[in-house]
Amino acid sequence: MFPDVSTLQRPRRKIPAALTMVALAAVAAVPFTLSARFSGVAGLSRLPGSVMAAETSAKALLPISIDYPEDKSIFPPGIVPPQFLWRDAAGKSWTVEITFADKTAPIHLAVNAEHMKIGEIDPQCIGNPEDVPKLTPRMAATWTWTPDAATWATIQAHSVAQAATVTITGSRDDKTEASVARLTLSTSTDPVGAPIFYRDVPLMPSLGVSGAVSPLAPTSIHLIHWRMRDIRKPESHTVLKDMPTCANCHSFSADGKTFGMDIDGPANDKGLYAVVPVQKHITILRKDMVQWNTDGKVGTVRVGFMSQVSPDGRYVLSTFAGPALSRMIDSYYVTNFMDYRFLQVFYPTRGILEYYDRTTGLRQPLPGADDPKYVQTDGVWSHDGQWIVFARAEARDPRPEGQGIAYHALDSHEAPIRYELYRIRFNNGKGGTPERIVGASQNGMSNNFPKISPDGKWIVFVQCKNGQLMRPDSQLYIVPFAGGEARRMRANTRLMNSWHSFSPNGRWLVFSSKARSAYTQMYLTHIDANGNDSPAILIDNATAANRAVNIPEFVNMDPDGIDDIQVNVAGQQ
Amino acid sequence: MKDSVASKKNAFACTMRNAAFAFAAAGSLGSTLWADASCAPPAELRARLTGTPSASAYNDLGIWFAGKEQYACSAEALATSLQLEPQQKDVAHIAFMFGVSLYFSGQTKDAIAALQQVEQMGYRDTRLHLVLASAFDSMQSNAGAEAEWRLALEQDWESAAALDGLSTDLNTDGNFAGTIALLEDPKVQSQRTATQSLNLGIAYEKTGKPAEAAVALQDGLNTTPDSLALANALAGVLVELSRTDEAAAVLRLQIDAHPDNAQEHARLGVLLAQGKRFAEAKTELEKAISLGDASGETTENLARVMRALDGKR
Repeated sequence: MFPDVSTLQRPRRKIPAALTMVALAAVAAVPFTLSARFSGVAGLSRLPGSVMAAETSAKALLPISIDYPEDKSIFPPGIVPPQFLWRDAAGKSWTVEITFADKTAPIHLAVNAEHMKIGEIDPQCIGNPEDVPKLTPRMAATWTWTPDAATWATIQAHSVAQAATVTITGSRDDKTEASVARLTLSTSTDPVGAPIFYRDVPLMPSLGVSGAVSPLAPTSIHLIHWRMRDIRKPESHTVLKDMPTCANCHSFSADGKTFGMDIDGPANDKGLYAVVPVQKHITILRKDMVQWNTDGKVGTVRVGFMSQVSPDGRYVLSTFAGPALSRMIDSYYVTNFMDYRFLQVFYPTRGILEYYDRTTGLRQPLPGADDPKYVQTDGVWSHDGQWIVFARAEARDPRPEGQGIAYHALDSHEAPIRYELYRIRFNNGKGGTPERIVGASQNGMSNNFPKISPDGKWIVFVQCKNGQLMRPDSQLYIVPFAGGEARRMRANTRLMNSWHSFSPNGRWLVFSSKARSAYTQMYLTHIDANGNDSPAILIDNATAANRAVNIPEFVNMDPDGIDDIQVNVAGQQ
Repeated sequence: MKDSVASKKNAFACTMRNAAFAFAAAGSLGSTLWADASCAPPAELRARLTGTPSASAYNDLGIWFAGKEQYACSAEALATSLQLEPQQKDVAHIAFMFGVSLYFSGQTKDAIAALQQVEQMGYRDTRLHLVLASAFDSMQSNAGAEAEWRLALEQDWESAAALDGLSTDLNTDGNFAGTIALLEDPKVQSQRTATQSLNLGIAYEKTGKPAEAAVALQDGLNTTPDSLALANALAGVLVELSRTDEAAAVLRLQIDAHPDNAQEHARLGVLLAQGKRFAEAKTELEKAISLGDASGETTENLARVMRALDGKR
């Protein structure tokens, strides 16, 4: 075995001694003796004796780092108790005190904190054994505590009008307090009010015989699950699994009555789209399939993803290559990597928006979003069905001569593309003139994956340096619907923030992030009437620790609205 | 385009062959490799190295030596392989291993030359940049090291080795703003190692932001409670912020973790004396001396504390 050069001790340039101690300025300011070794400065060992610092007390509590929840978190009513996370150099045991502004008696608890653990591992989803999640040093130093249901119910009940304050105090032994930290949290009056439908996938990139990398081996496609989550319950339930072919983006109409989903066609060409009424037991039959690739005058290639069912369920909006192109690779930049953390980069570089009318069975370009000089994608409907917001960039060849190969996400050899957001009236399919959205355009970044708030006031979108959606640097921004100043959202986590979806009441946003783990998880943030959002709230236990959650979408239905989805498209050819 | 790549490959192979030849010529050549007892191959490879050995046999031998941490021998074997078959399959990887072996055997200058050739060939491996950066570091070549750390981070933004190395180098160069920008990047913010937390604390302190320094250092200490470097830096910053009680508490934590560390007792003694807690200071300074701190400073400080105690009486 060749040495692991990343972990071996290496010779290192000497760091100047002055930098190894940062007390230099402090020592100069303090008129008492600090030893030269402490200060890093020679000649300060004389003790004047007469000038001394004020007498100090013996008690000093060191700060605890509370990693979750963050200060000023807002929780949805009824959500299952969160797991508090903290790191503490000084404490060995902890008490938690919760005080309430409404004069409710404080809660004092001696908590039985436990070290953070990696959750359950799905043994079917282990590709490279090295990719199985492990505790980072930070996680290994993290302590956890989850309030019991009764305690959490009390906290929620008395933190609605005003925030509750949670104080964690660490002790070296049972008597001596050594550390402390506080945070405030509150409970919203706005319920989430709807379940979340999401895809639950293994991250097992596969190297084919030809040397090509695929995000998932064909033999593992059946491991993809679709699940529903009621945030008031501790677990999700699976509604669809064991699919014989790859299915991708899903979309529900705003009224929650129609469900659509991209399904790879027989030639693995993204050629099929299932669109069905929502009911307790959904069965997708061949008759429910739209076969994009054969239906018309507007071209045979759909580069598509992000297909969106209209609010009333009549239309499906998607991105197509247009009539001039006959191969998907001419309009679609896609590269897969063996690094499971970000194993795929994809985005269209050419394409127009088209809408499919379920009442006529016809697919038509949307005027104003059908200019082949541009790529027009990520189209979404306003909740009144009057507007489409989409991402646009100058069209380009995804793989021009001389372009290098990207070996990892954010590689400088990725096809460069920066989208800008536009809006256009749907106008019963007649379209209109696209209007650039100020704040989500001309900012040197790629602005993409817009979602419109149900009240029509806001657009939340992803901003990243290149490409779209699930990039390491993806951050969520909010901008007024007509354009204006875009604000970076408070809820953004450290790594990848995307795949967001508004709750039907518009007060909650669900999104995906890799903040805690390369295996993507779902988070919530509360958005008030002024578009201000709150720190991210993890939806815990959405899947195994070595599976990823993506494409979460609120569905405007009863939490138990879907029990299962059966796909029966045998003979789809 | 293809011609251009082929031409580059040939140029690389030629340069690498020359480097390997020069290296091999300077040492024991080819089949005489194991004549040097220090580079004796294992029995299982001897048969493959007799007669007309293949490049592949030398590659296996190089890897075997590297596994035994006999890097000079590894470099010799890999040099011989490259000399024998300069256009072999995976030549860039073999050349990479050759360069790494040179580096770990202490031939830093040659290692840099070899690894830069590997880089020019377009070899993609974060480790290539990590080794090159370390090599540049050990040659005191700041610009070269920093460029390589950044190349490593382009490929793996979470590379702890690269973040450690780059932030250390930036601080060494006085580029504290660069360190802050690097380590406050949201992508790495919550995964900082002890070295990174220390470097960030130093950077903040050096830019006149001791409160931010304290936060960064405390956060690092909360992840790595037994880090003396973090604790001492934090204590220093807390003193600067006139939070001497907290500074003392930090030092006490270290004494709990390292009870026999005389320096920590001495530091705590001084700090307690500053807070006029002379009795406690006396205990700590005496403990430091009992643990072997024979420095004049500690002895003098103890004497001053004793005088202060006498004065109180």
